[in-house]
Amino acid sequence: MKKHFRELSVAGALAVVLIGLAIFAPAFFQPQPLLSLLTREAPTLVVACGMALVIISRQIDISVGSQFAVCSVCAGLLAAKGWPLPLVFVSSVLFGAIMGAFNGWLVAGLRLPSIVVTLATMVTWREALRWQRQGEFVNLPDGLQWLGLSQVAGQWTLILAALVILVFLALATKHLSAGRFVYAVGTDAEAARLAGIRPQLTTFSVFVFMGALVGLAAMMNVVQSPQVDPKSGSGLELKVIAAAVVGGVAVSGGRGKLWGVFVGLLLLACISPALTHLHIEAYWEKAIQGAIILLAVVADGLRTRKQRN
Amino acid sequence: MKNILSLLLVAGLAFVSGCGKSDSSSSGSTDSAGGKKITVALMPKSKGNAYFISCKKGADKAAKELGVDLIFDGPTDPDPAKQNEIVENWITLGVDAIAVACENREGISTALRKAKAKGIKVITYDADALPDAREFFVNQATPEGIGYGLMDEAARLCGNEGEFAIITASLTAANMIEWQKHIEVRRADKYPNMKMIALRPCDDLKDKAQSETTALLSANTNLKCIMAICSPGVPGAAEAVKQAGKTGKVKVLGLGLPNENKRYVHDGVTDSVILWNTEDLGYLAVYSANALAKGELKAGDKKIKAGALGEFDINGDNIMLGKPFIFNKANIDQFDF
Amino acid sequence: MNTDKHGFKTILLRHETILLLVVLLEWFYFNSVGPRFGSVDNTFDIMRHSVEIGLLALVMTPIILTGGIDLSVGSLLGLCAISFGKFWRDAGMPIPLAAVCTIGIGALAGGLNATLITWLRLPPLIVTLGTFSLFRGLAEAITRGADTFTNFPASFLFLGQERWLGIPAQAPIFILVAIGIWLLVHRTTFGRSFRAIGFAPEGTRYAGISVERRLAMAYVLAGIIAAVAAIIYTSRLGQAKADAGMGYELFAITAVVLGGTSIFGGIGTVHGTLLGVAAIAVLNNGLVHARQPREVAGMLTGLLLILALTSSIIPKMLASLKARRQTSATKPIIT
Repeated sequence: MKKHFRELSVAGALAVVLIGLAIFAPAFFQPQPLLSLLTREAPTLVVACGMALVIISRQIDISVGSQFAVCSVCAGLLAAKGWPLPLVFVSSVLFGAIMGAFNGWLVAGLRLPSIVVTLATMVTWREALRWQRQGEFVNLPDGLQWLGLSQVAGQWTLILAALVILVFLALATKHLSAGRFVYAVGTDAEAARLAGIRPQLTTFSVFVFMGALVGLAAMMNVVQSPQVDPKSGSGLELKVIAAAVVGGVAVSGGRGKLWGVFVGLLLLACISPALTHLHIEAYWEKAIQGAIILLAVVADGLRTRKQRN
Repeated sequence: MKNILSLLLVAGLAFVSGCGKSDSSSSGSTDSAGGKKITVALMPKSKGNAYFISCKKGADKAAKELGVDLIFDGPTDPDPAKQNEIVENWITLGVDAIAVACENREGISTALRKAKAKGIKVITYDADALPDAREFFVNQATPEGIGYGLMDEAARLCGNEGEFAIITASLTAANMIEWQKHIEVRRADKYPNMKMIALRPCDDLKDKAQSETTALLSANTNLKCIMAICSPGVPGAAEAVKQAGKTGKVKVLGLGLPNENKRYVHDGVTDSVILWNTEDLGYLAVYSANALAKGELKAGDKKIKAGALGEFDINGDNIMLGKPFIFNKANIDQFDF
Repeated sequence: MNTDKHGFKTILLRHETILLLVVLLEWFYFNSVGPRFGSVDNTFDIMRHSVEIGLLALVMTPIILTGGIDLSVGSLLGLCAISFGKFWRDAGMPIPLAAVCTIGIGALAGGLNATLITWLRLPPLIVTLGTFSLFRGLAEAITRGADTFTNFPASFLFLGQERWLGIPAQAPIFILVAIGIWLLVHRTTFGRSFRAIGFAPEGTRYAGISVERRLAMAYVLAGIIAAVAAIIYTSRLGQAKADAGMGYELFAITAVVLGGTSIFGGIGTVHGTLLGVAAIAVLNNGLVHARQPREVAGMLTGLLLILALTSSIIPKMLASLKARRQTSATKPIIT
């Protein structure tokens, strides 16, 4: 219980919000809108898992939003050209992995600070895409939406896919040595190196994996509607980093549980629809989001401070 | 230390030599008279916006016909000061005429007044600045016309009664705030049985508009109509209505581009898309700017001729493009933008 | 130990020299493609457009030197701008009083960052990520998103828009702050302690320096300067809105890193930051004269940042390669 205190407290906060909604706005819990909400958040969950790994390895990646947009548009263009769906999926993941590899090479290979590297790539990809696309939507061919299934089947497929990835990664970080390497490198890269782990390779792989997950998430988003907005993914990096932080992932590296990230994401994703259901004005959204992030970290800090004293 | 000093010296010399260049305070072609090419600088509200790209298409056409040098540039990030900075750069560049779609009415006027003072001809299009900062406003429809048009169409679709919600781009966008005011005026005046129950921003993102609409549909079971006044909002809201299975029960209308909405109009999800011919808007803007720069257009003129499009009325200092156009099932396929 | 310091100094010198060369190259290039680029008018344009970002970059330098970061300065600029507008329009204060109150708000906000970072020892990245949302959110909530403040008196607008004694009126403020921060970082014990904290916070604490107080000072200062920048911004634009200053924090960080300051802390100079601001400002302005679209400026800035990072790493890499070759005999026992 104590071991999971952090994640459980976030779950507790989420429970409080849900109970509040149940009392004041029970309409929130209708099945179809909830399903839609969860489906919309499924790609974000996938990216959040990747971001958690990045942060645990003591790095950060603020270029995921731009990567997401690039992958979405490229995948959309390929699909519009008539490429078969599986090939489009693979291509999107590949594009993401390539962009991730570029980040990884600069961070792990050239030992450059990840926040600045990903700041540079974020701006570069975003502006290049904007220049090329100029805001024009990509119209997708019919039959792509929901992977060709019915809407409800497609929604459940996407939600389950995201959950499978979450569970797989949660287990992998615990049981696969590759997963443990990420935690080791994040805790103390030098100690990890002395123990035989190759920190640079681990870091590089984390970024490539992040990119691949972004590519996958982009596809999961593309199949949810018949058009691709080149501005999609805007603000994604803030969302997933906040979800990870609120969910208990430590920015100092080496600590964090993926299911905590899941709960953190749910909590933050609830804010906007909760405001709508409670008939609270939209301009409170950012302030509440910031307050939740701060409360989460302050709670962390108070606990550590107590421990220190 | 010595290295730094010597380099600073070199830098200083370079700077001083550069400063010797002319910094004439007037625009480039005060003595044009057919000799120099006229430069018209056209600014969208922001780059990467499909709406303004279609304006640019018309503007390019006009520039080609007139033999005018067209610069098209605008801000790529949301900071309000960016439009001012680009205008000020253009002043120094020495363009002949500037046409701006204004994000911030009062803020941009600061820079436009400076341009006017330097002899550059200033017009606005799509969204106006303060009247004293520009000579003419190419108006595709008054905010009143747009607001009333939206409200009227919404009322028509809902049988003059019921609840509706508005999806806007951001709460700070000046012209959308204008439109909302007029929507409310029209509603209070003619449709008291209609109620606006929510206003949600979508940050100009189609996906966010979809999420917001889903939540709105779920929170308000009596909702009859979604009015999306920003162009990505219309397909986003339509997709949400479709996925919620409320096609036909909840009406969708808004200000949007035909190409983004053809699918939903044909599926019966979106009933009306209101807009105007954005290419014509860009075309007229360049023609007006050119005429102003050449001295052919003066204050008090009642009409202006714009190439292939013919004559347009001038209402005071508003050059009227015409009325808003309603795209629906019958006609949307005729348009490609 | 002396040779180490000399070694670092050489690296620093080299980085800023290269950056200076870059700025000069930009200048020469744009001068050649844009006839009006080198004029006094345009130079003043560049100055006026980069004052607010420059202020934020200046005050970000000591923070990054301590190994911290402040992502909330852009949002704070927005919050201070609308606070200023509210004090002046709704509370009826005269401009100078409104300005003082706004600076107070900035100090309080900076104080919030400072408290959370020093008292609770929370990571600056996360704290300022939270305040980045919170400050912008408060600005939007106070104005309900839609409210803007305009019609400021001409005497106030003079600050942002007119020239005083031949140079843009906001330039003296910028120069004063630049000199102040340069002195703070390079000539005072405070400044030296910032660097020390960046290198080794625990070691600095053992040395008897109050790390918490120095850090708090840096963040509160950031808040105050953000408020000053907000006032200048409002004067330049003639309007105060909730979304003022969006994206400025990333710009400021780019300028600081471009200038050679290490994001890990401990290394960096204020004159480097000034050069970084100049490099970006000249680039943005020059590209308009070169008739290039805005997106190109963004892409080139990204590329420039990567190049700057890579070039500063090369001496370090060469040194480590040399070291590795020397110590290749001592491989880890466990493989």
